[in-house]
Amino acid sequence: MTRFIMRRLAEIVPVLFVIVTLVFFMIRLAPGGPFDTEKSVPPEVLENLEAYYHLDQPLYRQYLMYLGRLVHGDLGPSFKNSNFSVNELIGLGFPVSLELGLYALAVALVIGLASGISASLKPNSARDYVPMSLAMAGICIPNFVLGPLLVLVFALWLGWLPSSGWDGPLYKILPALTLGAAYAAYIARLTRGSMLEVLSQDFIRTARAKGLSEARVVLRHALRGGIQPVVSFLGPAAAGLLSGSFVIETIFQIPGLGRLFVQAAFNRDYTMILGTVLFYASLILVFNLAVDVIEAFLDPRIREEHRNHA
Amino acid sequence: MPDAMQNGEILEQGGPSGAEKGTSLWKDAFHRLGKNRLALCGGIFLAFMVALSLATPWLAPYAYDAQDLKLGAASPSAGHWLGTDTLGRDQFTRILYGGRISLMVGFAATAVSLLVGVLYGAIAGYVGGRTDSVLMRIVDILYALPFTIFVVILMVFFGRNMMLLFLAIGAVQWLTMARIVRGQVLSLKQADFIDAAVVLGYSRRRIILRHIIPNVLGPVIVYTTLTIPNVMLLEAFLSFLGLGVQAPMSSWGVLIKEGADVMEEYPWLLLFPSIALSATLFALNFLGDGLRDALDPRAAKD
Amino acid sequence: MPLLDIDNLRTWFYTRNGVVRAVDGVSLQVEPGETLGIVGESGSGKSVANLSYLGLVPSPPGRIVSGTAMFDGIDLIKAPGPVLRSIRGKRISMIFQDPMTALNPYMTVGKQVMEPLLVHDGLGRAEAADRAVQMLESVGLQDAAGPEARMRAYPHQLSGGMRQRVMIAMALVTHPQLLIADEPTTALDVTVQAQILELIKQMQQRLGTAMILITHNLGVIAGTCDRVLVMYAGRFLESATTRDLFYSPRHPYTRALMDSMPSARKPGEDLYTIPGLPPELTSEIVGCPFAPRCAHAKDVCRRRPALLQEVAPNHATACTRVQAGEL
Repeated sequence: MTRFIMRRLAEIVPVLFVIVTLVFFMIRLAPGGPFDTEKSVPPEVLENLEAYYHLDQPLYRQYLMYLGRLVHGDLGPSFKNSNFSVNELIGLGFPVSLELGLYALAVALVIGLASGISASLKPNSARDYVPMSLAMAGICIPNFVLGPLLVLVFALWLGWLPSSGWDGPLYKILPALTLGAAYAAYIARLTRGSMLEVLSQDFIRTARAKGLSEARVVLRHALRGGIQPVVSFLGPAAAGLLSGSFVIETIFQIPGLGRLFVQAAFNRDYTMILGTVLFYASLILVFNLAVDVIEAFLDPRIREEHRNHA
Repeated sequence: MPDAMQNGEILEQGGPSGAEKGTSLWKDAFHRLGKNRLALCGGIFLAFMVALSLATPWLAPYAYDAQDLKLGAASPSAGHWLGTDTLGRDQFTRILYGGRISLMVGFAATAVSLLVGVLYGAIAGYVGGRTDSVLMRIVDILYALPFTIFVVILMVFFGRNMMLLFLAIGAVQWLTMARIVRGQVLSLKQADFIDAAVVLGYSRRRIILRHIIPNVLGPVIVYTTLTIPNVMLLEAFLSFLGLGVQAPMSSWGVLIKEGADVMEEYPWLLLFPSIALSATLFALNFLGDGLRDALDPRAAKD
Repeated sequence: MPLLDIDNLRTWFYTRNGVVRAVDGVSLQVEPGETLGIVGESGSGKSVANLSYLGLVPSPPGRIVSGTAMFDGIDLIKAPGPVLRSIRGKRISMIFQDPMTALNPYMTVGKQVMEPLLVHDGLGRAEAADRAVQMLESVGLQDAAGPEARMRAYPHQLSGGMRQRVMIAMALVTHPQLLIADEPTTALDVTVQAQILELIKQMQQRLGTAMILITHNLGVIAGTCDRVLVMYAGRFLESATTRDLFYSPRHPYTRALMDSMPSARKPGEDLYTIPGLPPELTSEIVGCPFAPRCAHAKDVCRRRPALLQEVAPNHATACTRVQAGEL
């Protein structure tokens, strides 16, 4: 297993390299630059700025310089927030996004798994239809609709919760619910489907024939196989959740990484864009690896496969 | 050998009845779909929405950019069924035109992803070997791209026009389609009934047309139906961020964004476009689920 | 007193295409230590009949419409869940057809064999593990690295025959009074079938377990069972000792089955097949269910219900014409 993880970690580096290269040239070859909007800047100052950020150098040299810094883990200075490095900005935004993401993930897992499992145990009953209709709603009502609606009802009309900001526990309820809802819906549907499939398999009948309680049949025998698709889904989902959502952070005015990224994109803050893309990509890759490890942990057959390939 | 030839001929002559069975599988699926009330309602609603957007220029009571600043944002009334926005534009008209754009983006971007994904996946699966592993490695790398971010970058840096929107969304949606098609082609290549067809001496053309394509089609149709709502969501999301459709044109995403900004005073401006978008997404998802159940003979067995 | 006494059991499936009468009024008795064979084609209801009284038929769509199944003074069909569960896997165990899918792929063999002991006998882990190791040894599941290594194996690491040995160990580890073996050798390689059958017989004798052996293979019945029931379209058509059934089959269906065995033919001769197909079970069958395919059927066969009746000592048949002495 260790060898499998090591090999996969080694694979991440070239993938990240390809992504950096792709995005670097894509944004640099596009028209426009970070200092376009600052009309009032005198030409000499602009020249100084460009020299400071090495924008006056040929593109390939800038690319090599960027890579050189990257090797040391330095994502460079931000073009727009000149007092901050990209590392610092990510360090400021990510913890907020992470916290929001963890709450949303908890919401999604608890609601999604519970309703999915419960629905699969009594298919085509009210216990199936009601949560599954809600799940469908969760998928069809996008978070940028749900968010404002929740704010409208719980903040503006009822006045129970604050409408925006990130100052205390109460501020975190609506964003976490909004962000978690769609994921909860997906997880519920996935769980129901795969649990139904597992529960129809022969070894479940064997488990029942052994006289096990229904709880033991479900928890000990069915769940391992039943949550596998959820685990695979959780890789990309967790990466998305933990890195925050632009929309949620915009709606609720949360100072997370997502909002920083959108601002950076609009401002053509080259280093910040590259830095966040790299950061997100690493998150996705690491989570995908984590998923593979968990899957191997759940299924001995996958474990063996990894051993044979390593 | 002569025996095998003879058998081949007999079976080849049996071809027409085999083809009939093929169509009856589709008929069967269609029948099952017709019995699924939710899917049926979804399909009808969708057809209705498509008809509405096609007929919008004749149906819309006002011009989409006709402002009535004196009126301002008015609540629903006889003259303006769904009220007006802050610039006094008729909300019903705006939703009709917005739906046109949203649906068009949905279908066009899905078509792009369909074309790219199916071709890519089919080539990878059919050619196999090194080509396959290289092509799929590329897909793996692209999967690691945070693609909403990718689309945001694309839209920011390369102007915000509709064609680019189709391409950008299509470009990030084809990956899963490629994987599905490749997987399907690969498993079909190893399937016993394809071996049987080869042994019976059927031509490559016949095998591809009669055996491979019909079997790949099911999953492709299902996934396509489920891609459209995803694409529409993505478009609405981009428009919400101000990166999608530009004023004075609107899409449901734009309308929702505008509505959310003023929802405290004029909640109907948020509510109606949200309902339009969600109802369409519901319809597409129900139809997609229904198609999946109908086209998967395993799931239909009970 | 019989160990298990089933009377007039009916299990119907309520499907979209109508009511399938999979089991339609069957009765049987199993004496302690005895081996009863149930033979029939696939779809004849032999598995469903046995899954029914153990509460293992998925419901919906399955429903037990009538019948009692008395086991040690308890009617299994009316027994509440906890009571039924305390019998299932402890006093009545099952072996299934396909050891590939019937074992949990996510659990080690050892855990699966230990589980009944933990649940039913309240043993501690160490003790249960000891018993499981012993059991695995006695079903012939050995490993060069010792029996503990086998305990840690996962089903996919074992061959089909080995997996079925695990199934047997799992079923017998609680020393049940009744073992229901549902096609225990059908999914195995021919070379392994005899070994597994021999093992089941041995274990059964050693533990004094009664057994219901469900199979479509008359050959399997011949070497194993004391008594045989022939099942067709959800009913029993003939009941006899194994010897009687093979030497003097009375029901035309049983005779047709015997004739269908390839060994019943001389080399070079065409094989015998029963014309027609088993009946659809969605409509009620009034007369003899075999009548449409029977070479000896008369009008009366289609009209009058065919019920099992003794025609010789310990030999009953449901054929009206045999009962009337016409055949």
